[in-house]
Amino acid sequence: MSRRVLGFLLELALPAALLIGYGLWAHRAGSFYFPPLDEIFRYFRELWLFDRVGSDLLPSLARMLAGYAASVVIGVGLGLLLGMYRPLRVAAEPVVEFLRALPAPALIPFSLLMFGAGNASKVFVIVLGAVWPILLNTIDGVRGVDPQALDMARAHRIPPGARIVRIILPGAGPRVFAGMRTSLAIAIILMVVSEMVASSNGLGYFVLEQQRSFAIPEMWTGIILLGVLGFVLNWIFLRVERRVLRWHRGARGLLAEHEPAAGAPSSLKKTPTPEKSDA
Amino acid sequence: MLEVSNLRKVYGPDPHAAPAVDGLSFAVADQEFVCILGSSGCGKTTMLRCLSGLTPATSGSVVLRGKPVNGPPEDMAFVFQDYSRSLLPWMTVRRNIAFPLRYKGVDRRRAAELTDEALDAVGLAGRGDRYPWQLSGGMQQRVAIARALAYRPGILLMDEPFASVDAQTRSGLEDLLLNVWQRYGITVLFVTHDIDEAVYLADRVLVLRPPANVGHEAVVGLPRPRNQVATKQEPEFGRLRGELYAALDGRPVVA
Repeated sequence: MSRRVLGFLLELALPAALLIGYGLWAHRAGSFYFPPLDEIFRYFRELWLFDRVGSDLLPSLARMLAGYAASVVIGVGLGLLLGMYRPLRVAAEPVVEFLRALPAPALIPFSLLMFGAGNASKVFVIVLGAVWPILLNTIDGVRGVDPQALDMARAHRIPPGARIVRIILPGAGPRVFAGMRTSLAIAIILMVVSEMVASSNGLGYFVLEQQRSFAIPEMWTGIILLGVLGFVLNWIFLRVERRVLRWHRGARGLLAEHEPAAGAPSSLKKTPTPEKSDA
Repeated sequence: MLEVSNLRKVYGPDPHAAPAVDGLSFAVADQEFVCILGSSGCGKTTMLRCLSGLTPATSGSVVLRGKPVNGPPEDMAFVFQDYSRSLLPWMTVRRNIAFPLRYKGVDRRRAAELTDEALDAVGLAGRGDRYPWQLSGGMQQRVAIARALAYRPGILLMDEPFASVDAQTRSGLEDLLLNVWQRYGITVLFVTHDIDEAVYLADRVLVLRPPANVGHEAVVGLPRPRNQVATKQEPEFGRLRGELYAALDGRPVVA
């Protein structure tokens, strides 16, 4: 059996054990709040394959992705600006620190007044919470770009626009992605929270509604779906990050063991003999 | 080719602060190989930054081919000491080399030609699709040299480019540099703190004394092509070495 398959099975073991454990316990306990596994699964199939996908899952996903995309665009754009110009950064810092400290859900009532009960208010709340990690990490990333790379660009008369796109942005990339990863989790949380207030569809709305009508197994299916959603989105994010920041792991010497396709060069670094080819 | 007169650089707003470069004057002829020798902290890097237009000088002038240098000139390329920081790790070797060309107005096909030619000149043909971090230190510095060559500069400024590679790699890189210098017919201004390296490479060695000004000048009459073994065994090599050693120390030169 290959190491890959073994690793996969190992990853699967704990979730499986937890599920079985819960199933056995819930079956015997007969608790109203913790329905048996087969019941939850039955409802899950009924509700989410694919009856309520269009009415609740997709609207939620659309809001979350819209809010997240806006956060990335605003966070990276503003972060580049503030990272590159010190006066702007100094001027903006108190405001950024204040807004960042503000819990985004506190602005849900205000955003309902401003944007009504539709999608706009929910997207607004998501952006308000998710933009900060991206913004702050981008600022730090931009400030951390190697001055020598910038000197190299200036010495070769590379115009400012290209310097931003080809040097500053990729150089800040690892930090930008770190911020985006934190923001992804925040965006999912705020999606649920915003949908629990003055909403007529969405996963957050669904979970709250089922609880209010004491439809406990149904409520659990919504919670489980949210967990799965977060898991899948994070998995996709990590795949993208691995691809985009491959150079970063390579430059830090972290590629060697997993990608033997690039094997020869990594060994160049360690053994002194190939250095002779320089002479 | 390059004329530097009365260059002075003071950092910070106070004009009476100790200058990093003061009263520096020298000229470099077309296709000449000039080494600037100085111990660390004598203002070599500041001087190079002023020459390349990266840092504005406080006073004095730098004139390249009759045109005063106010910003990085088109006719100049720069090779930095720390190759690992001046090469972009997110670009392949080939893209690193071709990157500045795009903004010089070179079209795609010509850029590819220049890149291949430069890679070939530094002995890295076939490594273009690697990333810099997949190469050894010496190879990375060769990529940096290739990038400068592909840029087709009239003059090449080099800031202690071989200071951070091992001795054997270093001799290889020195010979490679002499080879491309002649092949491309460029002018080289090479900053180093290594006396042997300066004598081995240069037509002329300028000794810099703090605050960076030319304290001594030595013309190197050693025959070319130079050879790592034979050249260094010539009596003239030993004599120049002694002369520069004394000059670097600030002692009167007994030549």
